Amino acid sequence: MRDRYEGANRKVFAFNMGVDSYVLEPVAGAYRDTVPEGGQTAVSNHLRWASLPSTAVNSTLQGKFENAALATLHFLVNGLTLGFADLAADEEEQITKEDFGQTLASWNVPEGSYHMVPVLGPRTTRSLGGTVVDFALNPLSVFGTGDVVQTVNAAQAPVGAVSFRAQNYDAINDVKYNSLDPYARTRSVYYQSRQGLLEDRVARGAASAVSEDEFDSLFEEESN
Amino acid sequence: MFRRQMMAMMVAMLTLFPLTAYADARVTAAGALVDTMISDLETFLATDTGDESARTAEIDRVLNTYFDMDSITRFSAGQYWRAASSEQKTEYGSLFREVLCGTIVRNFDQLQGLAYTADAATAKGDKFVIVSGTFTDTTGQHPAVKVNWRVLTREGAAPKVFDIEIENLSLLVTQKQENVAVIRKNKGEFVALINAMKDRLANPVHNDS
Repeated sequence: MRDRYEGANRKVFAFNMGVDSYVLEPVAGAYRDTVPEGGQTAVSNHLRWASLPSTAVNSTLQGKFENAALATLHFLVNGLTLGFADLAADEEEQITKEDFGQTLASWNVPEGSYHMVPVLGPRTTRSLGGTVVDFALNPLSVFGTGDVVQTVNAAQAPVGAVSFRAQNYDAINDVKYNSLDPYARTRSVYYQSRQGLLEDRVARGAASAVSEDEFDSLFEEESN
Repeated sequence: MFRRQMMAMMVAMLTLFPLTAYADARVTAAGALVDTMISDLETFLATDTGDESARTAEIDRVLNTYFDMDSITRFSAGQYWRAASSEQKTEYGSLFREVLCGTIVRNFDQLQGLAYTADAATAKGDKFVIVSGTFTDTTGQHPAVKVNWRVLTREGAAPKVFDIEIENLSLLVTQKQENVAVIRKNKGEFVALINAMKDRLANPVHNDS
């Protein structure tokens, strides 16, 4: 893990924590407490739907054609409701989210350094580049016309942030308030989960996330 | 010529068979350990009243019985363990255990309403077995969670859980990287980690909901 800008990253992290404390955490708390479960599900359905074109394109670029076909099919079917209703819920479980950062990794583009991006959070140089491309693949940005669609499009990023924060409310609070070094914990969690995605471990489930080399130090210590 | 080949094959089979049998035995023992631990926890959860001291005692017992706490403690301090004095190691060990217990007790309510299904067990090298399973929320409110138990299987010793990976996120590796970051930030002073843990225990925040 290359965190060559750790000093600057820690400052951005402190800023992000401030944004979280003053904006995201209270809004997400209120969202969690006041919006009915059905409403929260509809919002997360829509956000997932909006990411399907990116998944379809990136799956194709990575040669995962079955995933690409499933993502396209679900995008078209659920597009009838702008993705707010999941009309094909059972099958959607099989779709693995793929982003352009993963595509770049599959093309052996080096991951670069670790960056703490204002508001967006942790990214490697490679995944940050991927985020920009994925953003451009948002269906409402590309095809959206009409006031309602434009409003939904404009609301997508802030609502997405609130929805994500609400879904991970306790886990994020645990890192924020109870860890010894929230910055280091966030970095570790980001790297491990990203590594899992890059190696498709999350989809497989059964494989271990951690390289066996990680544990060598335990036995080296014992043999000395 | 043919006899020589047959002899070589037989020797190879005789050499490999005990290794395969040993690997199978490790896998079976690791799976059984996790099954017993889960059923032990389920028994406690069935009668749990929410009493914090009872929960702490139960977690302490589970850690003692099923987890390799010595190896976990040592690993969690990373490369700085070697540089620590024996007093620091002892103090760190008890603080680490207290922090771990506190973390589990704080999140204990999340264990309610979960059903565990064992999925598979696979040997990883000659020291570990990964036992995989799934926690399903019986209320249907939360999605299923994949979990891997990394079981340490040393020859001649009972298997013990070494790490838990939730949705491919290793809890022990995360803790180790955090601990190492705390020590590094303080110019490699092991005592800084001890002080940070003491401070956290003395000033708990717990802003969970």
